[in-house]
Amino acid sequence: MAPKSSNAGKEKLIDDEEEVLQAVILADSFNKRFRPLTARKPRCLLPICNAPLLDWTFESLALAGVQEIFVICRSHAELVKTAIKESKWSKPGSGIKIVPILTAKETFSPGDAMRDIYTRGLVTSDFVLVMGDLVSNIRIDEVVRVHKERRKTNKDAIMTMVVKESGARHRTKARGDSSVFILDPETSECLYYEPVSAFPQTTFAHIPREILADHPEVEIRNDLIDCSIDVPSLFQDNFDYLDIRRDFVHGVLTSDLLMKNIHCYVAKDGYAARVKDTKSYESVSKDILSRWTFPLVPDDNHPGGHVYDHERGNKYIAKDNTVVLARTCKIGNNTLIGSSTNISANVQVLASVIGQNCNIGAGAIIRNSYVFDGAVIGSDCVVERSIIGANVNVKDGSEIQKGCLLADGVVVGPSAKLKPFLRLSKKPEEKDELVSDEDEDDDSDLEDLVSLQVSLAKDLGTDSNALVWPTAPEEDADDDEIAKFKNERFMRLGDDASDLDYSDDGSESSLSESESDDESDSDADFTVPSESLPLGLPDGSPMVESEFQIEVKQSLERAFAEGHSVDNAAVELKTLRMASNVPLTRVREAVVGAIVDKIKIVDSGVVEQRKEIAAVIARWGQLIDRIGGVDPVETVSALQAHCASSQRLPLFGQILAALYQDDIVEEDDIRKWHRLPVSRGEGLKNKGDVENFKKCWTVGSHMIKQFDEQESSEEEDEDEEDEKGDENEEDKSKGANQAKKVQKVMEESEEESEESDGEPNTSPAKSVSVASAISPNQEATSEEESEEDEDIDEIEEVAAAPTKPMVEDVRVEEPIIYPQAIATPQITAPSSTNASQQNNTKQEPQEESEDEEEEDEDEDEDEEESDDGMPKKPINSVAGKPDATPQMAAVPQPLQASISPETATILSSATLVADESDDESEENSGDEVSSPGKEGTQITAAVAPVTPLAPTSKQETSEEESSEEESDGSDGASASTNALFPMGTHNMLPTEIALAPPFAKPESSGEESEGDESEEYESGELSEAPAVKAAALVQPLVKDVGKAAGSSEEGEGEETDEEYTDAESISDGKRDTKIATAAGSGLNVGVVKDV
Amino acid sequence: MGSESFGGASQRSVENLAYRLRRRQLVGSRATALETLLVLRQVVSKARFSNMEQLVEIIRSVGRRLVEAQPKGTPLVPAPTRYRAHSQTNLPEHSVGNTVRKVLHHIREEYHTAIGTNAASAPQTFSIAKFVLLGQPRQHTAGAPKAESNAKATLRENDPDDPDSFARGLKPVLMEAIQDVLDELETVYDNVSKNAKDHIHSDEIILTLGMSKTVEAFLKSAAHHRKYTVIVAETAPSYGGREMARSLSAAGISTFLVPDSSMFAIMSRVNKVILGAHAIFANGGMFATSGSLIAATAAQAHRTPVVVCAGQFKLTPLWNLYHEYGALDFGDPNSVLGFEEGDLVDKVEVVNPYYDYIRPELIDGFITNDGDHPPSSIYRLLKETYDDEDNEL
Repeated sequence: MAPKSSNAGKEKLIDDEEEVLQAVILADSFNKRFRPLTARKPRCLLPICNAPLLDWTFESLALAGVQEIFVICRSHAELVKTAIKESKWSKPGSGIKIVPILTAKETFSPGDAMRDIYTRGLVTSDFVLVMGDLVSNIRIDEVVRVHKERRKTNKDAIMTMVVKESGARHRTKARGDSSVFILDPETSECLYYEPVSAFPQTTFAHIPREILADHPEVEIRNDLIDCSIDVPSLFQDNFDYLDIRRDFVHGVLTSDLLMKNIHCYVAKDGYAARVKDTKSYESVSKDILSRWTFPLVPDDNHPGGHVYDHERGNKYIAKDNTVVLARTCKIGNNTLIGSSTNISANVQVLASVIGQNCNIGAGAIIRNSYVFDGAVIGSDCVVERSIIGANVNVKDGSEIQKGCLLADGVVVGPSAKLKPFLRLSKKPEEKDELVSDEDEDDDSDLEDLVSLQVSLAKDLGTDSNALVWPTAPEEDADDDEIAKFKNERFMRLGDDASDLDYSDDGSESSLSESESDDESDSDADFTVPSESLPLGLPDGSPMVESEFQIEVKQSLERAFAEGHSVDNAAVELKTLRMASNVPLTRVREAVVGAIVDKIKIVDSGVVEQRKEIAAVIARWGQLIDRIGGVDPVETVSALQAHCASSQRLPLFGQILAALYQDDIVEEDDIRKWHRLPVSRGEGLKNKGDVENFKKCWTVGSHMIKQFDEQESSEEEDEDEEDEKGDENEEDKSKGANQAKKVQKVMEESEEESEESDGEPNTSPAKSVSVASAISPNQEATSEEESEEDEDIDEIEEVAAAPTKPMVEDVRVEEPIIYPQAIATPQITAPSSTNASQQNNTKQEPQEESEDEEEEDEDEDEDEEESDDGMPKKPINSVAGKPDATPQMAAVPQPLQASISPETATILSSATLVADESDDESEENSGDEVSSPGKEGTQITAAVAPVTPLAPTSKQETSEEESSEEESDGSDGASASTNALFPMGTHNMLPTEIALAPPFAKPESSGEESEGDESEEYESGELSEAPAVKAAALVQPLVKDVGKAAGSSEEGEGEETDEEYTDAESISDGKRDTKIATAAGSGLNVGVVKDV
Repeated sequence: MGSESFGGASQRSVENLAYRLRRRQLVGSRATALETLLVLRQVVSKARFSNMEQLVEIIRSVGRRLVEAQPKGTPLVPAPTRYRAHSQTNLPEHSVGNTVRKVLHHIREEYHTAIGTNAASAPQTFSIAKFVLLGQPRQHTAGAPKAESNAKATLRENDPDDPDSFARGLKPVLMEAIQDVLDELETVYDNVSKNAKDHIHSDEIILTLGMSKTVEAFLKSAAHHRKYTVIVAETAPSYGGREMARSLSAAGISTFLVPDSSMFAIMSRVNKVILGAHAIFANGGMFATSGSLIAATAAQAHRTPVVVCAGQFKLTPLWNLYHEYGALDFGDPNSVLGFEEGDLVDKVEVVNPYYDYIRPELIDGFITNDGDHPPSSIYRLLKETYDDEDNEL
């Protein structure tokens, strides 16, 4: 198409084009909102401002520099083809090549159409994908350029969507069909998409927490008009979607398998809107007439090639002097009158579009209406906010109330009284030869209608040939259909749906969260269950899931039996998951379940059982993290749920310990899980389950308690560790020893938990301690790493397993590692107090007492163990955790890095203090720390993710005197920041984000003290964000130092209380952050945290 | 009619230009003039014709096509034929038609020189009634006798043996003529501003508005010789004034940027108002970026001289006859009222005219690349620049 001229030099200036920009138009709407107007022609040939929509679309694309257009036609394909052939576009010199593509009738969705394009191989590079009802003046070529630019650096950026900023309320923004976009303001990546329906009113949008965790700043907007202009790269494999937005975009964004990005282009200038329903037909018409689409306006660049004269007040009268305007007629503003139209005396035409060759009888009033070519409106008729099809004859004295749609060729009147929202089409008998090319389904529809007529056809006038379409769904329609109908009312011409609006706000909104309106955009014909894409939705259909569970089970059994590698099994699972489209959680549950079931219950003894568990977990445990996402908290929950409902309940503690040992779950994760209310069995129906859940939870609490104790004691070990960074050889044996200890403790705990089913609160604690024992052991002092290597062979792998990073940096006083077991107050020593004062956040009262009880019990056995050679890990192994969990770990890591220097000093001073006291009280402690700064940073790095460490009360009590002065000092240092952040749990809390009503200023509804996260998002000050976060993380520590100092005298009552309230406050337990989207609300976002 | 006489490639480039004009992908009068010239050059170089009438008709048809591509209706009337009812429409980019007219004029001139006859020599009797119709008063003296002998032999119109001989003989000359127009366009800024120092004196305060390349060049040129101050009005809603102010101050001129509303208040201190033009009409009035009318009116009130800088290609043989409003081009309301003001969009009618029409009474002088002229003598310039028969393409 580029003019190939020998005189290339001269032509260069005229048409210098590098690459042909291609566009694909889906000329089928795949829905029926315009029926009956669209019964006989496709929507894209409906005239808007007297030119077919398709021409507007062509012109929009031409304006944007598109040179080659493929039009995908499905329904009425021949009509579309002819229209293209006859239009000015097929003439030479139009600069555009338009290729109509007829697709099969089986093309039911845009996805099918895209597949068709792909298989034909027409499109060669990134292209523009629009619907056949677009009116736009946006420079899409710019969007394409940006997209291509982005593709150069990021191959995963598969699509750019064009959205247009509009206000909270806008006539062009359909209330029934808008959406919430979550964008990264920096990269304009679309992080999340959720459609919003007006009925049932969507008041919440679920935002996956990872988004908030991964992006320091997000924009949550529902003030964007989705222009349906996409610049996709060739997506080759994903065609199974019904709707590009709801299914494809939502699916891609929520899928953690695809790892593709979608970006948004927020058009600040320009106009773009789709005529997707009768309401938007009206608003787009108005926008064209009031020149928002400039230069695409009737008097300048009318796509139909008509020439209009523009007069004051945006009146457009055809310029060929064929319009007859009676002297007494009144033409209002924003009116367009086509050529050869006759407007008689005393006619009022206000804000309307009159087609060509129309005849308006004397005294008629036409307001906000759209009259197509060749229509005849009789004298004294009144037409309000309606669409009158081509060649319609409205006879004298008729009245057409708002929202009526009269299809082509309908005759009504005389003196017809049409009720609002009536839809009329011509009776089928009177259909001419057109019948033959009619869609089959249309015919059947019409036949259905004929039967309904008797009741409905009245007031249509004696000469009427009209067929009335039902206005509301039939009585027996199911709820979905009614909801869909109500939602579509928001898209109906002239319907303000005031009776629906907000009427059943509260009750409906909660429902709508998950249901949303999957189908409002698709045809009744094409309706497919929405389960087709529930990726990431909390509730998939139970049937699919149960099938999936079985599949997973079989797949894993095969893997177990045939000894597949973990990787292969993971691939198989991923495929399975893709195929059955279930959320990751289900996969995790299934995998955990399968692995747990794989563990045989060994009756022959605890040791055997432990071996069995260790073997299974070592072989298959990594699979849990390979299924496509890592969420250890969920893993623990899944484990708990599975154990609680199976006979492997007693094994829970051991399995958990094994998981911990294999780094599949971390200490932090266990803590987080432990805090979840669900973990305590809250909200469960089955009473037996609750019991079992509680048992598991108690096991967890004990484990955590042990962590706390380790934490505190670890600090003491730190400098000792420094001395012996090179003692690698001994590590193994130490590891072995330590693992052996673990086993011992496990044995106890098993016994305990079996004995004490009735009172889970006290006894099962020990079983937990097992897991926590592992890593600190490895860091024990050299004095302790002497003997007892008997079990080496058995446990070597344990020692080889990487240790927990956060534990390693903290110096540990070996004996404290097993508080229950070892209970050697003289060694527990001053350092632990300081450490605990730094780290403690919560301590539960009963734990204190337990500790003391258990101390006594365990003392004897543990004492021998306390002498065990404890391997010490080199500090470098901090990074030893290969599979850092992206979801949970993502939060702490950046924070860690950005901890402010002051906090570091505070911490380091505390450590220093700890060091000194070590020296005083313990002969076996190492050298004093040489560089406090270094120590400090180490500590911060280690402590930050471990925020909620609980101190052990016994340490405090035993060390009170020695620690008092130091704690005073740190108290003073932290006093100022003390009150700000009561809890370190900010990244655990479900965040609720409410979209404020229009014009409201963004308000943080959370209290200041809780607002660390929310403030960040609101303030939008990027530079400050990390600091704020860091502070948020560190504050709890600092505060606790102070608290501990205070409580060393008073006891810890308050703190434990606090812990409980906090735990409960999390009890909503929902993963997803909620956004309340008051309908029509702006981008004002307040972040609310419920505490 | 002419479309079949020029080739497909030319046809396409004409259509291409027409579409780009229509879609406002090409804006700015000089840019459009340049593009038009390039298209014309291509058309002429490809055209097949055996006499002058054919050639003129080909060029006119191109001109017509381009002009019609911009259906922007105005009731502007071609100057000499304004009594006639007409369906001719005017266009936002007047320079397209002007360029075509100018090319036609030059081609005719070349033709006459080549043929050796002086077509304009016929009406020798001077009368005041014929004064207006008398074209090319200056050309009468020049050229005519000189070329007579040598060219006549080579050029034969309507040669039955070799229909292309005429075209072959004339084409080099024509291309040269078009090249002349092109050169004039390319040097227009320099030529307009070469006398800048005669118009701007030291320590003067100049008010201008909008972003006119001609004015910018003019002011910058003056700054080489004089030290003076420029006050630039912001010129909402396009805010071209901001760009202008930035550019001027970057060139070292002391520049103030003021809001449009303060124009009147400032006017008492201003020595001269310098405006750009979009199109200059036969009566000496002009279209200029919206806001110019305020400036001109304020200047009138303070008796401050208003000077317009414009290239000759903006001279348009039309009159703004009936009413001023309809002649204007209305843009997108977006720049006046943001689209995001959803509530207002529904209720408010936004008018965003691109241009103001400024009556000749408000203008004191035009500085063109062809010398300085008062509004009252624009008609004479027009006469010299274009042929009367081309006023309606």
